[in-house]
Amino acid sequence: MNELELNFDVRVFSLDTIKRALYRFTDKCSFDIQLKDYDIIVTIHAKVDEDLSTKIKNEVLDQDLRDKLSQETANIRTLILANAFSNTGLIQ
Amino acid sequence: MSLLGKKFKLVEAFDQSVNRAYQLLPARFAVLDDGRYLLSNEVGEYLVVNRDQLKSYVKKQVPHNTDFYYDLKSKHFLFDDDSNVAIDLLALKYRTKAQRVAQFTALHLFVVSLRCDYTCQYCQVSRQTDDKVAFDMSEATADKALELVFKSPSPAIKIEFQGGEPLLNFNLIQYIVKEAQRHNLEYKRDLQFVITSNLSFLSDEVLNFCQEHCIQLSTSLDGPEGLHNSNRPRPGKNSYQLTVDGIKKAQNFLGRDKIGALMTTTEKSLSQVKAIIDSYLENNLDCIFLRPLSPYGFAVKNQQAQKYNVERWFEFYKEGLDYILEINRQGHNFVEVYTQLVVNKLRSPFSQGYVDLQSPSGAAISAIVYNYDGDVYASDEARMLAEMGDKKFRLGNVHSDSYEDIWLSDALLDTLESSLSESLPMCSDCGFLPYCGTDPVYHYATQGDVVGNKALSGFCSKNMKIFKHVIGLLESDSDARDILLSWVR
Repeated sequence: MNELELNFDVRVFSLDTIKRALYRFTDKCSFDIQLKDYDIIVTIHAKVDEDLSTKIKNEVLDQDLRDKLSQETANIRTLILANAFSNTGLIQ
Repeated sequence: MSLLGKKFKLVEAFDQSVNRAYQLLPARFAVLDDGRYLLSNEVGEYLVVNRDQLKSYVKKQVPHNTDFYYDLKSKHFLFDDDSNVAIDLLALKYRTKAQRVAQFTALHLFVVSLRCDYTCQYCQVSRQTDDKVAFDMSEATADKALELVFKSPSPAIKIEFQGGEPLLNFNLIQYIVKEAQRHNLEYKRDLQFVITSNLSFLSDEVLNFCQEHCIQLSTSLDGPEGLHNSNRPRPGKNSYQLTVDGIKKAQNFLGRDKIGALMTTTEKSLSQVKAIIDSYLENNLDCIFLRPLSPYGFAVKNQQAQKYNVERWFEFYKEGLDYILEINRQGHNFVEVYTQLVVNKLRSPFSQGYVDLQSPSGAAISAIVYNYDGDVYASDEARMLAEMGDKKFRLGNVHSDSYEDIWLSDALLDTLESSLSESLPMCSDCGFLPYCGTDPVYHYATQGDVVGNKALSGFCSKNMKIFKHVIGLLESDSDARDILLSWVR
């Protein structure tokens, strides 16, 4: 089993973002995650013979965008859903 | 301000060179291929964008006077000071898509007999030899099930007879059809019937009854004679001949549109997709559903499902779809059903009502199964799982449980709660979410968990591949796009 370590700065990426990105690779790897000062240290235990570090880093960037989009639109999403189900008798 | 100024915006409002602030509307994205992303909103409108476009959109840096800005605005990915009507329109479209949840159960499957004359290796329900009447549904059970059918608020009710081979209990089918029609004098629903049969017992009496009561037929055709007979063995080794004779007879008697066929993919099928499609054309069938093998019943016992993986099935599907597109280019309108469903989901404002591609899951909301013994299951797959000894998705029994007991059972509500893609790991922020769904029974059968890890899921992998392929065709192949869009209903 290949082992690899990646570090992410917690001032740049949230722990939640990192976890969401890593989850998408659970078919190919398992992970240990540690917090040390400003670093999120991810130890990757790869089940496949493939260097996944670039893919994982790119996925972290994508997940960071996803999180920004989701946080920014959370209130509007609630508003749209409330509007959609108003007058249907499904919400009081 | 002059009177004119009150009615018209000032000149500065039309200055395209000024970048104005815009607000993001809820959206998700997924990687489509190298460098391209699918950006979709809450109601399934989408744009294919590159990473720079995606970043500039999220960071609110898209210049106001660009086509990309107007694409984002017209498809409701953003709104600005000009208009906030997008929020109302999104709500309206969302309500339209969600309407099927309020309409509730439309498809009611009656397993009128578990007996069957076939011994298919992949059969997803245990079959019994045809002399065991103990495995037939009784009139008393049918009566109780019918009471439940008409408690559904759905304006359209479809009753589908399944087995085993349902025509082995044709007397009960006649009884149920007549009783349902009698009930319907009071309830006045759009009532339809389907018999899913191998057609071995398709007599003139059956056809006359089907004609009299507008009953559709659905059968199984796995491909050319050798493949079909190998997949679907019966005494006499003549299953193909019986099936195609039955299809022809039904087409002549009832009309070409009154009979359809489904195929099941086995390992032997994988190298024969063109021959399989040709067998459908030869038998004057207008569509085919290139289905993967489901992980239930005898399919699992015989480890058929493990013999080929999603990647191999997807190659089979892609080759088949290419061939079908070529058939359409030659002027023959012939449809691949799953692709049609996906294109409809991508391009139509309406929910498509396909049980597997819904959130919450269509289990018991869209379709429900009344087994021969009165047990009620959330889906046909749940019944298959029960036949393997796991009754996790058994919701009750028509003799002992009320409508409320069954539809408000923990077995169902817990399952539905676990099947909202909007709150599931990996699904909740996936760009394909508006088109996809969740299949709690599949994930329970394959991973022992109704939610399942989507990184390990064959369901997720299969659907992602299909979405990417179909969107790729719609975006890059104008010929294919014209054909696929002609399939939108």
